[in-house]
Amino acid sequence: MGNERRLAVKSEAAQLAVLTAFLKEFWSTAALPAEESLPFELALEEVFMNVVMHGAPAGAARVEVALHLDGGSLAMSIADDGPAFDPLSLPAPDVTAGLYERRIGGQGVHLVRQLMETVGYRRDGARNILTLGRQISR
Amino acid sequence: MKVRLEKVPHATLVIAEGRLDFGAAPAFQKELEQAVTAAHAAGGQVKALIVDCAALDYVSSAGLRSFLQAARASQRAGVVFALSTLQPAVREVFDLSGFSRMIPIHADRTAALARISSAKSPDGQ
Repeated sequence: MGNERRLAVKSEAAQLAVLTAFLKEFWSTAALPAEESLPFELALEEVFMNVVMHGAPAGAARVEVALHLDGGSLAMSIADDGPAFDPLSLPAPDVTAGLYERRIGGQGVHLVRQLMETVGYRRDGARNILTLGRQISR
Repeated sequence: MKVRLEKVPHATLVIAEGRLDFGAAPAFQKELEQAVTAAHAAGGQVKALIVDCAALDYVSSAGLRSFLQAARASQRAGVVFALSTLQPAVREVFDLSGFSRMIPIHADRTAALARISSAKSPDGQ
């Protein structure tokens, strides 16, 4: 099977658990360090939930996640066939705002950008493709 | 995710365990808000709500939102809201989002409780 795995699900919130289980299984099969999984779990949740909540009507889009381990580097791509949208175009939130001024929108994508070493968006035909990567210590 | 409440002198400990993701966040937020209400109703007996995160493995932006709402509810109720014992990866999420500047985070439970007992209660008693 090599170092690449793929899974496609419908764009509905209940599928988040399925994607998380898929990532965790990949993690343990590849014997990656447990303490380094959070950035990928978080990126998967934030990007997927963005598609679910702001993309096509619930369940109408298909979201495909691919994980590719290349030496010490893990790449995750998340593709969906919803309306064209680049989450990386969202403005960064003000992380210095106080308890009451704080707006939560945009926080998820901001965290993804910070936690990942590489982030990229492209529209490929009818699909949005977000590519994320980060080194893993092995 | 599992949540357990423990009463200690002057504070309620909320022991959070597992994954605080989009699915778990609404119930967790409700649990925190109920604990804030109960602390407020106890008058000066319960000054603080401390969320022990030693067994919290994961938090996303949906999880951060539940902490934010609970911190706001606490402030309105005059109850101190603090976290303790964050795992390094979870701590990183709090730092990158700026949440560690909004919500007090202590190294462990003992430090959090020491801080509360040395602080004045909101009504100055």
